[in-house]
Amino acid sequence: MTDSRATAERSGVAGGGPTDMMVRAGARRAWPSGVFQALLWLASGLLIAFIVLPLVRLAATSSPSSLISAAREAEVRDAVLLSLQDAAITAAIATVLGVPLAYLLAQRRIPAPGLVQAIVDLPLAVPHTVAGIALLFLLGRTGWVGAPAGHLGVSFYGSQWGIVAAMLFVSAPFAVNSARVAFEAIDPNLERAARSLGATRAHAFRRVTLPLGARGVLTGAVLVYARSIAEFGAVVIIAYYPVTAPVEIYNLFLRSGLAAASAASVLLLIVALATFLVLRTLASGSWLWIADRDPR
Amino acid sequence: MTLADDALLVQGVTTRAGSFELGPIDLDVASGRVLSILGPSGAGKTMLLETIAGFRAAVAGSIRLFGRELGQLPPESRAVGFVFQDAALFPHLSVRKNVGFALRARGERSHERVDELLGRFAITHLAERSPRSLSGGERQRVALARALAARPELLLLDEPLSALDRPTRDDLRTVLQELLCGLGIPAIHVTHDRDEALEIGDQVAVVVAGQVRQMASSDEIVAKPEDDTCARLLGWSELGVGSLDRDILVLGDLAVPTSDSLDRWNGPVSVFYRPEAVLLGADAVGSRGPTHFRATVDRVLPTTPLARVTLGGRPALTVLLLPRDLGRLGLRAGITVDVELPPDSLRVFRPTGA
Repeated sequence: MTDSRATAERSGVAGGGPTDMMVRAGARRAWPSGVFQALLWLASGLLIAFIVLPLVRLAATSSPSSLISAAREAEVRDAVLLSLQDAAITAAIATVLGVPLAYLLAQRRIPAPGLVQAIVDLPLAVPHTVAGIALLFLLGRTGWVGAPAGHLGVSFYGSQWGIVAAMLFVSAPFAVNSARVAFEAIDPNLERAARSLGATRAHAFRRVTLPLGARGVLTGAVLVYARSIAEFGAVVIIAYYPVTAPVEIYNLFLRSGLAAASAASVLLLIVALATFLVLRTLASGSWLWIADRDPR
Repeated sequence: MTLADDALLVQGVTTRAGSFELGPIDLDVASGRVLSILGPSGAGKTMLLETIAGFRAAVAGSIRLFGRELGQLPPESRAVGFVFQDAALFPHLSVRKNVGFALRARGERSHERVDELLGRFAITHLAERSPRSLSGGERQRVALARALAARPELLLLDEPLSALDRPTRDDLRTVLQELLCGLGIPAIHVTHDRDEALEIGDQVAVVVAGQVRQMASSDEIVAKPEDDTCARLLGWSELGVGSLDRDILVLGDLAVPTSDSLDRWNGPVSVFYRPEAVLLGADAVGSRGPTHFRATVDRVLPTTPLARVTLGGRPALTVLLLPRDLGRLGLRAGITVDVELPPDSLRVFRPTGA
């Protein structure tokens, strides 16, 4: 009897604890869940609108006829084609050089992986005009690489090679990181299984790891391509000529004003977005408007 | 067993991962025999297999397979087959291509060999399917077929049944047993499941905290675990802490002579018993030895395949018996029954650390 009363008293005292906690939890839950939902959607909508609205406004300035006449101008057309071509070359080089590094990083078989990863990400932090100047020091006519390359007849300054070099510098992180994330997601036991079945390291990479990471590798290539088409700052410093599309648009803007630049801008936008969407669909294997995962 | 009989001979193998050290491990497995390694998770069982397979470098020791030293060889040159817990099938290849992977890696094109293996594991109808669409049991059959396609000289199985549901597990356990019997190569099978270890292994090694605690035949290791950890892993239950004085074990109201002399150890001991060996009611009446006493039935749980009866008193114990014996012996909560602990169902160990 005494015992049970003591227990009741103890639990009564202890009861203050949970009740307090419930009150506190109640006080914390001041936001009705509807407000939280509304804030989520509002913030997301604002950002989407901020991205889409300028592009819609730009597209609204031009008519089909102005686009056709812009496409007929040799300077604009050549600039757009040059951008597409160099971006494709850059995507290929970034993939060939980026995949091995991504694989080493994913396998953590590289010394100081944290440092190497930081170096890979460095171009994301370097202002692009600074990158252009740094590249010019290295690849210019008297640069460490530029001078010997010049003797072999290869010039980076004011050439397509310079454009590709600038594009590669600013976009390489996308190729490495996208492939690395894909390789990291692969169960390490798959490669071990392949090895135990008699596959050499190279064979296991070619037959197991690379096919399973292919989507990530392709996505990286597409991102490099998209980023390269957009590049202005680094390109304009190392290779003002030949003129890429962003440089041509900048020239039009300086020479003839906003209206003159808009038709070429929309043209570049259409070409860039169209190729990006096609490649992205191929890389991801699913259409843009179809969710590839169920809601969580 | 002489050296020549040992198809696999592991001597003094030590491996490290961070602060965890495995070994030194000594093992030997003859051709056609299966060694089951039993241990709790984190004991280093998988790490040992990975070291033998060459996925992990040993810091010391030697691994010899049919006289070949494996230590410096890359995994692909060891001829060691590995079956992973989650099967690790290549998700981008069909079942047929998974099974044929080893042949293709060697540049062989042997459809007959693949067909034969698909047939042997009853997975011919799955040949063109993607591994993603298979059940757990089907995946492990494919994994076994794939490992055997490489004609390994040693087969390592890392908890191959633990991710499966019960009926599938029982099914595949039989497949595995028959397979390993007929292969004629040594095999090591790792598990945390006692029944699986005893059923599949000819020998069982208990590995705890990176060390082999005991290695013996299945019968012997169950009957005579050498320490409390092995006893627990092998299905012995702890009865409590007793004291040992010149071969007389005192525990609660019990005072029994014991054959476990523990090298003349006198003092506190951990006492273990086999819960299925305890006799109750009419079965225990015939005996009037020192391990006979009476106790009250606290609870009767009609679980399968063995029912569980808990007894109050000193010492308290849980007894496992066939569900049909509950009725035969008239066992129900609240009654007092005769209890007999057969002497060979008791083991005493020095307390851990003593």
